[in-house]
Amino acid sequence: MTSDELTMDQRRAPAPVAPDASLVRQALLLHGVQIDRVGEADPWEPAAVEHLEHLVGRVGPRPYGSVDLITVIERAGLTGHGGAHVPAAAKWRKTLRGGGPLTVVANGAESEPLSAKDATLMRQRPHLVLDGLALAAEALGADRAVVWLHGDDHGTAATLQGAIAERRAARLHEPALELVMGPSHYLSGESSAITRALQGGPTLPTARRPQDPRSRSPRTLVHNVETLARLALVARGYPPLPTMLLTVLTPVSRMVFEVPRGTPVVDVLEGTGWLRNGPPQAVLLGGYGGQWASWRDLRSATFDEPALRAAGLSIGAGVVAPIAHGACGLAETAAITAYLASMSARQCGPCLFGLPALTDGMRALAAGDASRRERAQLLEDLRLVEGRGACHHPDGATRLIASALETFEHDVVEHVAGRPCHESGRISLPVPGGHR
Amino acid sequence: MTKHGSTSRLRIDAAACDGIGVCAHLASEVLELDRWGFPIITARDLSRGELSAAKRAVRACPRKALWIETTAVPSVVQRAPGVTTPF
Repeated sequence: MTSDELTMDQRRAPAPVAPDASLVRQALLLHGVQIDRVGEADPWEPAAVEHLEHLVGRVGPRPYGSVDLITVIERAGLTGHGGAHVPAAAKWRKTLRGGGPLTVVANGAESEPLSAKDATLMRQRPHLVLDGLALAAEALGADRAVVWLHGDDHGTAATLQGAIAERRAARLHEPALELVMGPSHYLSGESSAITRALQGGPTLPTARRPQDPRSRSPRTLVHNVETLARLALVARGYPPLPTMLLTVLTPVSRMVFEVPRGTPVVDVLEGTGWLRNGPPQAVLLGGYGGQWASWRDLRSATFDEPALRAAGLSIGAGVVAPIAHGACGLAETAAITAYLASMSARQCGPCLFGLPALTDGMRALAAGDASRRERAQLLEDLRLVEGRGACHHPDGATRLIASALETFEHDVVEHVAGRPCHESGRISLPVPGGHR
Repeated sequence: MTKHGSTSRLRIDAAACDGIGVCAHLASEVLELDRWGFPIITARDLSRGELSAAKRAVRACPRKALWIETTAVPSVVQRAPGVTTPF
């Protein structure tokens, strides 16, 4: 295939592509929207905000959050929707083992630059998220209940401020809900960084040091906002929703929508216009801290986390970013690695020095002039950096690169032989700082 | 593994570590420095000799970035009846 006929120009006027009707049939959490490829989650077509009375009219008032809720969420199999898929009940048990003052956090700081499902959810259904936060705070006896956002997420902040004011005016009997704007930095969504910030420190990740379980040191429980929205529904007695939220990158936009769990990957790509000119070359799952998967591995796969895990993949926080044939996966990966290196908190040596070293190695590989020594160093550094940060930021980079070397194996061979892809100088993903 | 059915591991708080490198001088049995001068733990479950080397490193670290983590390992007799080792 020639790259010319398939090159999709991002500067072209936005095409009227909307998620295919069959894809958005099951809108239980949110209405599908289309937004810009970068920046805030402002929908192209305005989407209605659900007011408190609408929510109560649809699903009834919020029940009181008792500690028995832990068995409800355990039975519902509620897992985290921030990307790591940790069972919520396990986090609650760990929290209950401590004895210090407790802060419960609704984490709406969607640091993955491509992801917009959390902002879209909060803008459409702020009260569902706030209900979940209030429920968790009540059930665990929290002293503070906080919604944490990136400092530059103005649209979402305005919606939440309105919703909190609405609840105050309705004189709901619930814990006071605070909106806290964190820094806009990538790692400001990382849970240990949020914990440290809310305890009066800098917004930087920390290592989990051993703690006496009987200690009275402050506790912080961080849940992703989608997790809390789902909690608000299961607490009302609804069965767990059989859907998942996706953010799909298209050549002209991002689409945020809800699909039934187990939807074939092919259907999602078809519905977002990705199969019009033949299948994509590969798909980045989970965003810039995620993993590449080849089309061969994905064409018969479904969006079901356990099945993806069995194949060594993960959907992370629901980001799907395909690249067309003609794009250079190694150059895209080099640009993402440079971005991840620039977003390091610069606290841990292996991240501070390792990510720039990995960037150099990937750039040399992408340019087609990596010496044998540089290639060996790249592989050595992958091993050296993995698992050595206080947080998992460097692990995201090593996993991404390892998946690129496997997915674009054929390109690696060609680049090493001095025949880089034609498109190695052009990045198709909207990586911040990627268009040098 | 020690005779008491617990294992000890040397751990690093990578955010606290400044790569000063005293640890590697005092306890080369249990850790080494990477090419940027930051320690990598090489010993998994510390033997008695390794444990005293690890303690030296913990005491000497100017950044207090090292600690020893001890976890109990259930011995065979403590396992629930009917649970056998899969061989």
